Amino acid sequence: MPGHDRDAHGALAIAGLVIGLALLVLASLHLGLRHYAPWQVFDAVLRDGQGTDALIIRTLRLPRTVNALAVGAALAVSGLLMQSVTRNPLAAPGVLGVNAGAALAVVLGLSAFGIASLSALAGLAALGAMAATALVFGITLSAGASFSPVHVLLAGVTVAALLASFTQILLVTDESTMESLLFWLAGGFADRPLILLAIAAPFIAIAFLAVMPMTRALDALMTDDASAQALGVPIVRIRLTALGLAAILAGLSVSVAGPVAFIGLIAPHIARRLGVRGHAQFVPAAALVGAMLAVAADILARYVVSPGEAPVGAVLALIGVPVLIALLRSRRMGLQRR
Amino acid sequence: MNGANPDSDGWWLVRSGFIAGLVVLLSLLLLLAVGVGSSWLSPERVLHALVGAGERMDQVIVQTLRLPRALLAAQAGICLALAGALLQRATRNPLASPSVVGVVDGAAVGVVLFLWLFSNEANALTVSIHFQPLAAAAGAVVFAAIVGLLTWLDDGGPMRLIIYGVAIAALASAIVTLLIILGPVFRASQALIWLAGSVHQAHWDDVVSLAILLAMSLPFLALVPRVMDQFLLDDDTAAATGLAVGAMRALLLLIAVYLTASAVSFVGGIAFVGLIAPHVARLILGQNAGPYLIGSALIGAIIVLASDIVARLILAPLELPTGAVTALIGAPYFLFILIRRGRSHA
Repeated sequence: MPGHDRDAHGALAIAGLVIGLALLVLASLHLGLRHYAPWQVFDAVLRDGQGTDALIIRTLRLPRTVNALAVGAALAVSGLLMQSVTRNPLAAPGVLGVNAGAALAVVLGLSAFGIASLSALAGLAALGAMAATALVFGITLSAGASFSPVHVLLAGVTVAALLASFTQILLVTDESTMESLLFWLAGGFADRPLILLAIAAPFIAIAFLAVMPMTRALDALMTDDASAQALGVPIVRIRLTALGLAAILAGLSVSVAGPVAFIGLIAPHIARRLGVRGHAQFVPAAALVGAMLAVAADILARYVVSPGEAPVGAVLALIGVPVLIALLRSRRMGLQRR
Repeated sequence: MNGANPDSDGWWLVRSGFIAGLVVLLSLLLLLAVGVGSSWLSPERVLHALVGAGERMDQVIVQTLRLPRALLAAQAGICLALAGALLQRATRNPLASPSVVGVVDGAAVGVVLFLWLFSNEANALTVSIHFQPLAAAAGAVVFAAIVGLLTWLDDGGPMRLIIYGVAIAALASAIVTLLIILGPVFRASQALIWLAGSVHQAHWDDVVSLAILLAMSLPFLALVPRVMDQFLLDDDTAAATGLAVGAMRALLLLIAVYLTASAVSFVGGIAFVGLIAPHVARLILGQNAGPYLIGSALIGAIIVLASDIVARLILAPLELPTGAVTALIGAPYFLFILIRRGRSHA
């Protein structure tokens, strides 16, 4: 049966991704402005070593690596849910207005109320993301009870554009806000308070666990509404739940790392082409690809404009796009079975 | 999508009425765009100045400053909206917009490279600013060609085009970000204004050039409505009606790329209008390609022109980039008709 064959192929691909991710995480702890030897990393992480090097590894390298890992995985799954539910390859977490809402809330918080602590900004970002998603869902629901995917996308991009417009106007009027927020608006994994991740990680984990039982319904939803309905899938409920989870994952990500673009769009496209079968394999594969992309981009960001740090979003595209194109091309040439 | 019967005379009349209304609205906006600014000119004075019978000062303001700016904005809106309409129909994707095929970000690479290579230590340009549109066009063509080549080699359908398009656009935008970080600071701010899209440096040369480019696309545009109506069907059915699906899709996309490249070369990356104008046109005028294209063009011109007026007034004397407020103009209205149409046709 070719089916079993593909199951095995997908499982193999996922195993490969796990190994790749582990290697990247190790590399992320070693590489940077200062390179460390394996024994130094071992000493810092596992033996609670003292001294400057151990401190740097433990308080800087480790947090940013864990941040990248969690946020990359969350964004990838969020993007996957968006693309599967709307059956649109252009759908991404940003389309729900999550990033635009978070950015507006943060800019408003800083320029109007002078809130500058990173933790408070993260809270604002979460609030803004939630408000934007609620607005998008509200508009979609008031446009019809069927919760049509096209309406979600159109309402989402429109709300996102509207909020981004407000943000831009605020930034133009208040240049000092712009300067102090530029680092936040670029998105990134370094120098984010660990407490944020500690709060967000359990929710991200719960959202992952909530997605897994939905995988069969998502498979059915990929066909078309009528077929999915015939298979007994409660379309509107699944769609609402999946988009809600996508918004939660994206909202948590933007709170921790700011608006990081591209992962949510590109990671599912890459994962889809690794020979995975069904959403039961597709979801973990996308999460792993997203985490790998994020960690790899975070490593590369330390080198591109060294000694400065490049924006992770830009570096992500530099890594992700060639990988995606290579995958698209290799399948075309028959190196991979469809 | 549309509740009214497309063949009935009544619907035809309603549609003509809508289009006539859009034309009137656009004309009024043109008058307003020439009238408002640091010194207010009444419509009467504007009309006098336009025909060359106004005061000298009025004539200078109208003819050398505000009129080219208003015309450039309207033309850019027409190009971007038409490109969006063609793209959405050819790829059958409601999220398709001029920015997804890599053209806008490609043009941005051209402009940023130009500003980077041809500015000296004093941050002054070493060549004329008039070469900037050429650099933008070159960038747009190169990146569109990469997307086209990848899709062609892949023999892929619209899905593949879109994936290659967003991937290459992402790559181009990453290159732009890195170039801005590495490049000199003053030019970076100029690049940022270009990226947001602006008509504030409009010059008659630009207006005439864009008008010629737009006029050259008209013969092709006149040919496409029939093809576009066939694209309403799925690929197999369309092929059964005698449509050469692949070739015609390539033609529609080519025109879209051409129009986008023309517009962004002169006004920069004005976003949102190419995405939303076709949807507004579809929701109020229906799917029929003739009225759909005309409506898209008019609505595109209205959105960009109105945006430029708002961009000049909202924080006067400070001016915003036009592209920063297009969503402010288009979004509320679009959400309104989205909800209303959804309710009446659910």
